[in-house]
Amino acid sequence: MLAVSPLTSPLHDRHVAAGAKFADFGGWSMPIEYAGGGVLAEHTAVREGVGLFDVSHLGTATVRGPGAADFVNSCLTNDLGKIGPGQAQYTLCCVPDGDPQAGGVVDDLIVYLHGPDDVLLVPNAANAAEVLARLSAEAPVGVTVTDRHTEVAVLALQGPRSAEVLAAVGLPGELTYMSFAETPGSGGDEVTVCRTGYTGEHGYELLVAAERAGTLWDALLAAGGPEQIRPCGLGARDTLRTEMGYPLHGHELSRDITPNQARSGWAVGWGKDAFWGREALVAEKAAGAPRQLWGLQAPGRGIPRPGMLVLGADGSRIGEVTSGTFSPTLRTGIALALLDRSAGVAEGTEVAVDVRGRPQAVVVRRPPFVESHTKDPVPPTPRKLDAGP
Amino acid sequence: MTTPDDRRYTDQHEWALVQAAEGAVTVVRVGITDHAQDALGDIVFVQLPEVGAEVAPGNPIGEVESTKSVSDVYSPVAGVVSAVNEALTDAPETVNSDPYGAGWLVEVQVTGEDGDPTAALLDAAAYQAVVQSS
Repeated sequence: MLAVSPLTSPLHDRHVAAGAKFADFGGWSMPIEYAGGGVLAEHTAVREGVGLFDVSHLGTATVRGPGAADFVNSCLTNDLGKIGPGQAQYTLCCVPDGDPQAGGVVDDLIVYLHGPDDVLLVPNAANAAEVLARLSAEAPVGVTVTDRHTEVAVLALQGPRSAEVLAAVGLPGELTYMSFAETPGSGGDEVTVCRTGYTGEHGYELLVAAERAGTLWDALLAAGGPEQIRPCGLGARDTLRTEMGYPLHGHELSRDITPNQARSGWAVGWGKDAFWGREALVAEKAAGAPRQLWGLQAPGRGIPRPGMLVLGADGSRIGEVTSGTFSPTLRTGIALALLDRSAGVAEGTEVAVDVRGRPQAVVVRRPPFVESHTKDPVPPTPRKLDAGP
Repeated sequence: MTTPDDRRYTDQHEWALVQAAEGAVTVVRVGITDHAQDALGDIVFVQLPEVGAEVAPGNPIGEVESTKSVSDVYSPVAGVVSAVNEALTDAPETVNSDPYGAGWLVEVQVTGEDGDPTAALLDAAAYQAVVQSS
């Protein structure tokens, strides 16, 4: 057997040169923060200016052949019938009915609908292989699932200045939320630009051939302007997504946590005849999920962390923290937690988190903790990047 | 990463610097190392003991929490807390920017006739070796 070493992004050498610290994400060694930056500075860059992330650990796969989109729509939860070619959709791959974990979430992913016979999937690093294996096993004759994980790099350009930076490198930014465009495919230059992200800011994710990723990365950083755009690591990506209350698979979504529990039912096409886990999810929805995802805000010191218990007024366990971090925007600890429905909490209820043996008062919130700007209109592009107001 | 040789270190990444010695009483200032602050990342909360608390080696005297994780801080010496760095309540990032200076955590008053209470701790070269082997 070969030794298992972590995979690295095509941009790895650039991250090393930029003094990044690395951490394992689903078998990929990815930047967590950069020298001269750090989570707080990188987070602030995205909220107030623009930041550039390498998220090439995310999987990419094509599903092609006659009826490819219908096939995907019969497996994944969201309704592809709600979007047209050139649009993308957040969806879930659930455990099929008949399994004890039916309705649990194998992965959450983005589907790019190119056409009825051509779909691109962007799953999470750790789950990509299983999603593809499940789809391949069920694919009708003529429909092919092809893993392109290591061939395609994924960059995320996020923040109020993202449209301006994109325009400066000649890429299309005038897209509505969750729409995508492909630049002309000349000489390997093809880039797929999608108005999406995981930060709550106006932003884009860019799919580019691995061998072209370095050139695009360099061009975007140069266009952002020195001291103005920051390369951002996955540490800031986590604080940004937690402020928005976005679920992260393995924390708020898992085989043991259904979309009903995680408040991700909006990503389920309840009117569809078929998708994996449909019976289990319809039944749970009708009965009421036994627990639900809430936000917690910690006014004092001490940050709730994943796995910590949430305690009710009488000190009894009412749930568990699934994600928790420091909110750089609010300057307090924030968390996401699955709380028992029977605890009867609501926005504003005071509960406690057992922080290393000390009960710490926290307030129940309905995320997002910070206002979302994902659907803001595309700002007009200034003629000069350095033009002031 | 710097490791000044004017003070002593623990293998738990604290430093100890003798501030003053008068008779049998020595005041030792304690903080965390440059390596520790770098590994933690942006520090957002610092929890310190009460002045007057008795501390001993191996006992936690506080917590340093970053965006990513939380770490206990242990006292390198036995004694009584005589001062805590209150400025860190509003500016915990000082531990990142100046770990050996303004980012100090506590002062411990050590009473004993055995001379420098930090003498048995690691010197700078020994601490650097600990960091390199970790």
